[in-house]
Amino acid sequence: MADTTFKLNRAGSIALVTIDNGEDYHVPTTLGRSAFGSAVAVLDELERGDWSAAVFTGKPFVFCVGADIDEFGSIEDPREGIRAGHELFARIRALPFPTVAAINGACLGGGLELALHCDARTIAANVRHVGFPEVALSIIPGWGGTQLLPRLVGPEAAARVIVLNPLRQNRLLKAEEAVELGIADRLLEPVEFVDESLAFAASLSIEREAPDWSELDTVVRKTRARIDDAVHEATRAPYVALDLIAGARDWTIEEGYAAEEQAMAELLVSPQARASAYAFTVVERRSKRPPNLPDATPRAVRKVGIVGAGLMATQLAALFLRRLEVPVVLRDLEQSRVDDALASIRSDVKPFLATIVDGGTGWEQFEGCDLVLEAVFEELDVKREVFAEVKKVAPDAILATNTSSLSVKAMGADVGLHFFNPVAVMPLVEIARTPQTTDEQLATAWDVVKKLKKRGVLVGDAPGFVVNRLLTRMTTVLMDAIENGNTVEEADEAILSLGMPMAPSVLREMVGPAVAQHVLETMHAAWPDRFPLTAAGGGTARTLEEIRQGALDAVADEVQHLLYEGVVADPADVDACLILGAGWPLFLGGAVTRAPALS
Amino acid sequence: MREVREVFFVDGVRTAFGKAGPKGQFWRTRADDMAVKAVRELLRRNPAIPPERIGDVVMAATAQVGDQGLTLGRDVALLAGIPETVPGFAVDRMCAGALTALTAAAGEIAFGAADVALAGGVEHMGHHPMGDDVDFNPRFVSERLIDESAAVMGRTAENLHDLFPAITRERADEYALVSQQRAAAAWENGVMRETVVPMAVFTDDGWKVAERDEFLRADTSLDGLAALKPAFRAGGRVTAGNSAGLTDGATAAFLAAEDTVDELGLEPRLRLVSYAYAGVEPHLMGIGPVPATKRALEQAGLTLDDIDLFELNEPFAVQVLTWCDELGISADDPRLNPYGGAIACGHPLAATGVRLVAQLAYGLRERGGRYGLTALCIGMGMGAAVLWENVQ
Repeated sequence: MADTTFKLNRAGSIALVTIDNGEDYHVPTTLGRSAFGSAVAVLDELERGDWSAAVFTGKPFVFCVGADIDEFGSIEDPREGIRAGHELFARIRALPFPTVAAINGACLGGGLELALHCDARTIAANVRHVGFPEVALSIIPGWGGTQLLPRLVGPEAAARVIVLNPLRQNRLLKAEEAVELGIADRLLEPVEFVDESLAFAASLSIEREAPDWSELDTVVRKTRARIDDAVHEATRAPYVALDLIAGARDWTIEEGYAAEEQAMAELLVSPQARASAYAFTVVERRSKRPPNLPDATPRAVRKVGIVGAGLMATQLAALFLRRLEVPVVLRDLEQSRVDDALASIRSDVKPFLATIVDGGTGWEQFEGCDLVLEAVFEELDVKREVFAEVKKVAPDAILATNTSSLSVKAMGADVGLHFFNPVAVMPLVEIARTPQTTDEQLATAWDVVKKLKKRGVLVGDAPGFVVNRLLTRMTTVLMDAIENGNTVEEADEAILSLGMPMAPSVLREMVGPAVAQHVLETMHAAWPDRFPLTAAGGGTARTLEEIRQGALDAVADEVQHLLYEGVVADPADVDACLILGAGWPLFLGGAVTRAPALS
Repeated sequence: MREVREVFFVDGVRTAFGKAGPKGQFWRTRADDMAVKAVRELLRRNPAIPPERIGDVVMAATAQVGDQGLTLGRDVALLAGIPETVPGFAVDRMCAGALTALTAAAGEIAFGAADVALAGGVEHMGHHPMGDDVDFNPRFVSERLIDESAAVMGRTAENLHDLFPAITRERADEYALVSQQRAAAAWENGVMRETVVPMAVFTDDGWKVAERDEFLRADTSLDGLAALKPAFRAGGRVTAGNSAGLTDGATAAFLAAEDTVDELGLEPRLRLVSYAYAGVEPHLMGIGPVPATKRALEQAGLTLDDIDLFELNEPFAVQVLTWCDELGISADDPRLNPYGGAIACGHPLAATGVRLVAQLAYGLRERGGRYGLTALCIGMGMGAAVLWENVQ
């Protein structure tokens, strides 16, 4: 990662400071050790010089995205880094002239904390990434964020930005929202943003009302309940962050800094924080091209066929239509089902796209398709027949299946494209290759998944691929517990207390008990020992901790089998699948490190 | 019989001018963004003109590719936030680009096609070195349609020295010195404050404010100028000191019809009196303003004695001196380029015209006077001259 430098220039009597790492916007500016060195030098200049104001801004499109995550693991003494940030930012806050952070682009974590140490903030209207992602990584904003934000916008908004948004898929603020919340003082057009921020700084006079602390107890109670719903005490960071926000009411800023330092020293070395840092890198890496992807030219996909018009097929058709903007045809046995699907899709896309989606009960409509994806009933013979019919009218089409557990090869498909429900929300697509999958087919599948804005992971043609195999294995532990006297609620609670997003019984209802049972049968056929159809009774009920540990152990054991079979090329792929496809929280760090032979 | 409407120059503004190339202040700034800055400043300074009343946006650039491509007038209008109902187009007459944008817009106003027009130009010579994407037709040389030196402006300047031996290196250097001295003084009085808008620019050293022309050399001396080596010919007379450097810059101006001036309550600066473009031998392009000036005066029924101020472009000292000698004006005439010229401030080809007019308007107001002339020479052998009347 490129070194970040604070660069000072004079704009009349105003100090104009740029936070820049010398790279374009693809490499966002972070705050590491070298950045602090240059920032201290600039602060010396600011304290010595005869300035009327200072404006801090970033290189084009980026303000500053916070601490360098690569340096997380290597800090021997976490307190040192926290203290350095407090000292530096406190000097900015103490400057004897007005200071303005001109937020021209992504402003996250330590970048936002820097901005909060200024007297006021301008923000460009096109900024879409403002926030504190720390809690999502099981740490806290430790450079004054938990102390200054509540002092600026009050505890409720601070709790939302620092605690709750990170737990909602790391939701970030757009410029307008940042202004509405009071984080930024002035929304400016991007076109002359730095010029206008300089003018704003030149005539700065900000009168702030004291934040409203009267509802603090309610805010704390409500926020704590929402944290419980999300993580079930499986990670401490959100609770600690909430305590720090509440503490800001009575603490001096120095006391607040000290409390942050203490909290950070404990959290940074926690297993959850380490797991999160690992998981974050794993997920980020998944967005890049995998090394085992063949170097073939993907085929242009100009027409897509979807076999089936059920819930999944309808979602898939809508996704392909919206992202690829090519003709999509659906086929089902009954015209009324097709019509319902078409009506639902058409009501949900741009008018032009509504005219290029069609469907019927015949096979001939698939003529000219480059890709045909089936999402029909999970029955091997049915799927075989589907692909045999498709081949007659579209002999050149790539045949893909959305099967959740059946053999891609056995049904006569070229490649598996396994999406997760709900399609619009879940980022993962398992791309299953068979020994017969050609390089072109695989490259096309990867390319299509990318254009659908999903995260693809290459997997082998093994029953259940990765996600369903591991989740089903986990379910066997729960079934066993229930068979031996535990209630469904207890099983749910055990899994939720790991920080899982959804109770297993709820998930089973969503997937459909028939489908879940079918997956189990497929897995049982392959590995009867590890996937029994009925649990053995006769034992006694387990404690929640036993269920929890049993579930994790079972998954870890299955991961090992999966890796020995070579279902994925890289162990980290397994964890990416669990995070992106099953919604496992980052702080669990996936399952690979728990596999006995690998840890 | 249709009546032609009078056309008024309402206001003009420019960015600071920068040195072309990686060390210049605009190196990492897009050309169209520079034009947008000038346009937005113009809009801001003229709140009486509702943007939706602009009938056309005419933008000049010599290199109409890259960040100067895409029908610049339209592109810049949209980027500047002017309503999409306002059309725009791009023009090119090399160094007279902005002047041509002004006269083309004036034509639209006079004819009744537009009530208000925005005209200007931009040239980022750092991003678009002169002749970079040009494919010269080989017929020019093989059929001797032009002398091959016509393609290189510095060589055409040497040709003028050859043709007019009375214009020596010393006279050129003396003229350059005066230009620098007058420009240095001009930055101390109000003309630059009134016509130059500072612009925040991103550079390798972080964000800076481009607020001064980078070619200014207040400490220039005759000795220093004499020590410079000829740039285009061994033993030649044209140096970096007595010519304008390669420049990045942008300009924008408002023109309005007489009845629109009344309707909107505008305070116009100048009335367009007459204009002329003339062709000359391409390898002597610097002489172009001489016939253009004569024709513009002739159309207006005026003589040089009637003119109170001249704003001439100065790509080369020899070019100005040629104009002076041919028309009988002394090179140190106080009416000539009182605020210095392109030798001191730079010459971003298609942007320069508006700078001349804006400074002329300022000069006529501050110094008093009725008529003023703006003139430029143009590559491939042309000259431009526009006559204005002070209405301030």
